[in-house]
Amino acid sequence: MIRKTGSTWLTAALAVIITAAAACGGTTSPGTTSKGTITVAGFNFPESSILAELYGQALAHDGYTVNYKLLLGTREVVAPAIKSGQIDLYPGYAATELEYYNGGAGEATGDATATTAKLNSHLQSLGLEALTPSAAVDQNAFAVTKATQTKFSLTKLSDLAPIGSQLVLGAGPECPTRPFCEPGLKTTYGITFKDFKALDTDGPLTRAAFKNGTIQVGLVFSSDADLNALGLVVLQDDKHLENADNVVPIIRQTVATSEVSSVLNKIDAGLTTVDLVTLNGQVELLHQDADAVAAAYLQQHNYFS
Amino acid sequence: MLRSRESGAWPSRGHEGPEAVAIVESVMRWLADPAHWQGSDGIPTRLAQHLQLSGESVAIGALIALPIGIGLGHFGRFGNLAINISNVGRAVPSFGILVIAFQVFGLGDLPIVIALTALAIPPMVTNSYVALREVDPDVKDAARGMGYRRWAQLLRIELPLAVPLIMAGIRTSAVQVVATAALAALIAGGGLGRYIIDGLAQQDYTKEFAGALLVAVLALATEASLWGVEQLLVPRGIRLLQVPASRQATAFKTA
Repeated sequence: MIRKTGSTWLTAALAVIITAAAACGGTTSPGTTSKGTITVAGFNFPESSILAELYGQALAHDGYTVNYKLLLGTREVVAPAIKSGQIDLYPGYAATELEYYNGGAGEATGDATATTAKLNSHLQSLGLEALTPSAAVDQNAFAVTKATQTKFSLTKLSDLAPIGSQLVLGAGPECPTRPFCEPGLKTTYGITFKDFKALDTDGPLTRAAFKNGTIQVGLVFSSDADLNALGLVVLQDDKHLENADNVVPIIRQTVATSEVSSVLNKIDAGLTTVDLVTLNGQVELLHQDADAVAAAYLQQHNYFS
Repeated sequence: MLRSRESGAWPSRGHEGPEAVAIVESVMRWLADPAHWQGSDGIPTRLAQHLQLSGESVAIGALIALPIGIGLGHFGRFGNLAINISNVGRAVPSFGILVIAFQVFGLGDLPIVIALTALAIPPMVTNSYVALREVDPDVKDAARGMGYRRWAQLLRIELPLAVPLIMAGIRTSAVQVVATAALAALIAGGGLGRYIIDGLAQQDYTKEFAGALLVAVLALATEASLWGVEQLLVPRGIRLLQVPASRQATAFKTA
């Protein structure tokens, strides 16, 4: 018993030292007494690790002891872990979380606030809570090259309606039958394209087709790491065709004190999709570590001052 | 235990019958739908793309393979080397070549034609080599004895005798290429494979099945039409040789 307590204390102390070193680069000294331990998990892709590090390092700076369970797995692994209390917090995506916790009932919409409210109604009984959704969003998006953007002066999807007949749309072969894709662009935005080119969903074929001019509009994910490098511009989904997959922390109610919530909400309030693209780029293209990238972001945006 | 398992198997087996019929019916309906016979995703367009990709690949493959196979067979040298090299070609999966060629050359027909040409070459090299080697040495001696020069002997004696085997190689290549050209759709190419890939992605299994059926029918039609071409190319004398022995006497008499 004594042994166990001792080793737990040692682990906690070590965690404080490590996170303090990671978060503060050894410049500022953290509080010596921990406000409690919070276990942050992430899904098995880089963006989730970055978001988990942003939350974790901000909480560590605020005086919490933070354990990380990064790259834990898919939602099928992460959700049961938070339900059972093995983890306390993970960065979720509003619409996808809602459709997971409601069993795919199709309640998610393009409205982030409404989607999160709906999500909370399902999380309530599980002892979980979704905090305020960020403006940063990782969802289906339609991109054009900078050249196309300049030529037709495009900023949002509505701008495509009058010129769609001059452009070729590229996406996965399922696009012509999916409501979020070609049919949705037609009914919601009134866009009819010159042709459709079956490629892949946000993969190498789409990128090659942009490059050789086979397509002018392509389906991507809004926070893709390489959008900047490829010179692609995401058009704003001004009529909310896509479900609101805004970044939102999913947290256990017992952990979500007003202090913790305010720390996390502050991160989400400052984070944008453009930030997400940049951070993903640093990790996926420049091969930097997620913790270093997150620390640099927090430093730069004065979360540590 | 066994009994209950058996009785459990029956209803599902009885169920499969109508289901299979339903699939065939929906595929037939799909094929009969006039909407599927027009436009950039219509069957005529996809068929033309499929034939173009396959035709280009077999033609380029033949231009490369036949001179090699015929030359080596005629001179009787390095045959094993050529056949082994082309057999290595058979071992490399077309999909692998397709993906690598896509990485190098980007989007378009070129990676597809490269992968299919690589598939087309081996049977044609092997068959044309063997065809030339198998020409009866006595016939070659006789040709030389009658004063045929090397080229004349190759063109007028050896090649006509080798036609059946050479054509069999071309036929094998063409059928393989037509069947494999469906892969083109995996790297955003056209052809009948589009229906298979799109049907899978859209969970439209009727479309997928119809695409597979069209590819299979086209492969069989390729086999049949090349068999026809072969019949036209094979010299009359050899055709008569292939006639059953019992009928040969009369056949030669009328010849």
